[in-house]
Amino acid sequence: MTNELTALTTIFTEFYYWMTVVLMFLIHVGFCMYEVGASRYKHHQHTLMKNTMLIPLVTITWFFFGWWIYWAFPTGPGIAPSIMTESTGLVLGGGFGANELANATNALMAVNLNDHIMGVFWAAFLLFSWTAASIVSGAVIERITTFAFGILAIAIGSVFWTIDAAWGWHFDGWMLKILGYHDAYASGVIHAVCGGFALGILAVLGPRIGKFTSSGEPRNIGPRNPWLVCIGLFLIYTGFWGFYAACNIPIFDLGPEYGMEGVTFFTATNIYVTPTTLSGITMNFLLSLAGGLLAGYWISKGDPFWTYSGGLAGIIAASAGNDLYHPMQSLIIAGVGTVIAYKLHYWVERKFKIDDAVGAVAVHGYAGVVGLIICGFVLWGYPSSGYGVGSMWVGTDYAPINPLGMIIGAIIMFGVLGFLPGWILAKILHAAGKLRIPRDVELAGLDYNIMEQAQKDERAVASSNR
Amino acid sequence: MATVTDWIQHLTTDVDTATEGIQVAGQVYPMVGSEMWWVLAGIVFWLAWTFSTAAGEDEEQGKLARKKHGANDYKKNIAEW
Repeated sequence: MTNELTALTTIFTEFYYWMTVVLMFLIHVGFCMYEVGASRYKHHQHTLMKNTMLIPLVTITWFFFGWWIYWAFPTGPGIAPSIMTESTGLVLGGGFGANELANATNALMAVNLNDHIMGVFWAAFLLFSWTAASIVSGAVIERITTFAFGILAIAIGSVFWTIDAAWGWHFDGWMLKILGYHDAYASGVIHAVCGGFALGILAVLGPRIGKFTSSGEPRNIGPRNPWLVCIGLFLIYTGFWGFYAACNIPIFDLGPEYGMEGVTFFTATNIYVTPTTLSGITMNFLLSLAGGLLAGYWISKGDPFWTYSGGLAGIIAASAGNDLYHPMQSLIIAGVGTVIAYKLHYWVERKFKIDDAVGAVAVHGYAGVVGLIICGFVLWGYPSSGYGVGSMWVGTDYAPINPLGMIIGAIIMFGVLGFLPGWILAKILHAAGKLRIPRDVELAGLDYNIMEQAQKDERAVASSNR
Repeated sequence: MATVTDWIQHLTTDVDTATEGIQVAGQVYPMVGSEMWWVLAGIVFWLAWTFSTAAGEDEEQGKLARKKHGANDYKKNIAEW
């Protein structure tokens, strides 16, 4: 970099994404606290380890192939042509944003004096991947094997969410062109897909022992430590600031980008390279958090677990359109999404005997789906991209945002890339006898041996006088 | 082994004379060109870890399951350090 202004812009962007990574780390800290708080004493340490070990597993597979998938699959392949390559095939070459640079052996996937962005951008997406796997982790606590969870975490964190991101969370994604899909802060591409994936696993995994009476009535289990759950969720809220910022490009000149001769317009943009402001989305984030908390408190009659979860569900429901909504729209959409998610959670639990230990399917899956559908109506007619406006089903240009496209998008996220792969993989692991821990281990507690040893150690230390 | 042995020399060596200004070689990590082997080593490490820990988990849970502890037995093991 020989130009001072270019250098400042580049280093600012590099630092901006780096900060989002630091903030998003708190999401994972929060998820760990939340899960341990929700689990019973005899499962605490294994619950913690299960969630912690997704960090290295998703990280290395994200390096090996996850990032590559994101840049290779925006065309489907075979569904809509790329604006970079003009082909419907896998995107396998080109400049930044194309795929030869995102494979694990490329020179940019390391310290490189000529590039300051690849690593931090890769890392920001990786933290989304951790979140994806962590969402699933909470739902399956106390009865899944760590091995099975590791496989499933890699599947959602480094494969299925990144496919949906390539399709619907990429400036070149086919879902924008064919459907007019819009999901600025990931109601669908993170939350709905992970909620659906978790539900697919839960359908095969089954409930914890004792969750349902012999007549099928659900019993409440925990949370054992509501205070830890509360702090965990506060940390997830905190990390979400980084999540929202990481979904933006902080500074971009849209004049030349859109081919407007003589026009210079520097702005922040969302992931689709359409303009928004960090200032505006800050208001929307806070109002959607407020809407979710208010609705969660009201619908659960002041239950702390659901009030906090409501705050999260509210943000998730409004996230699809939070780049453009008015703050009051965010507030109301958040409230509606939270109430529907809460109601659906208990209906599904009773009807299908699904034991979602932390309400992850509701908070992320149902709230995400509701958010996508509402976004289709509220943003009906807005362009899904600045690179051109076309019509639905064509694919050579970008369809405007519309309800039908968003409903189909929600089905793709929750059902096709979420529930279905989760269910199939769980079935395979179940058939191999690797999905669920033995019944006697579940009864005794995953930590039985650790606790027994700690007891022996304590006695030995207590009886020692030197 | 070392890709860079003199920073001044590295930062003043133009690797692309067709482009204006000095274009330095961006890759400065050791053993440039061997990336594929490092990635393969990483994949082997990951797979070995997966099989090894899976076997360990099976063994540990098999032993615990055979002891047939009750649902409340863990309570006698709660340590009060």
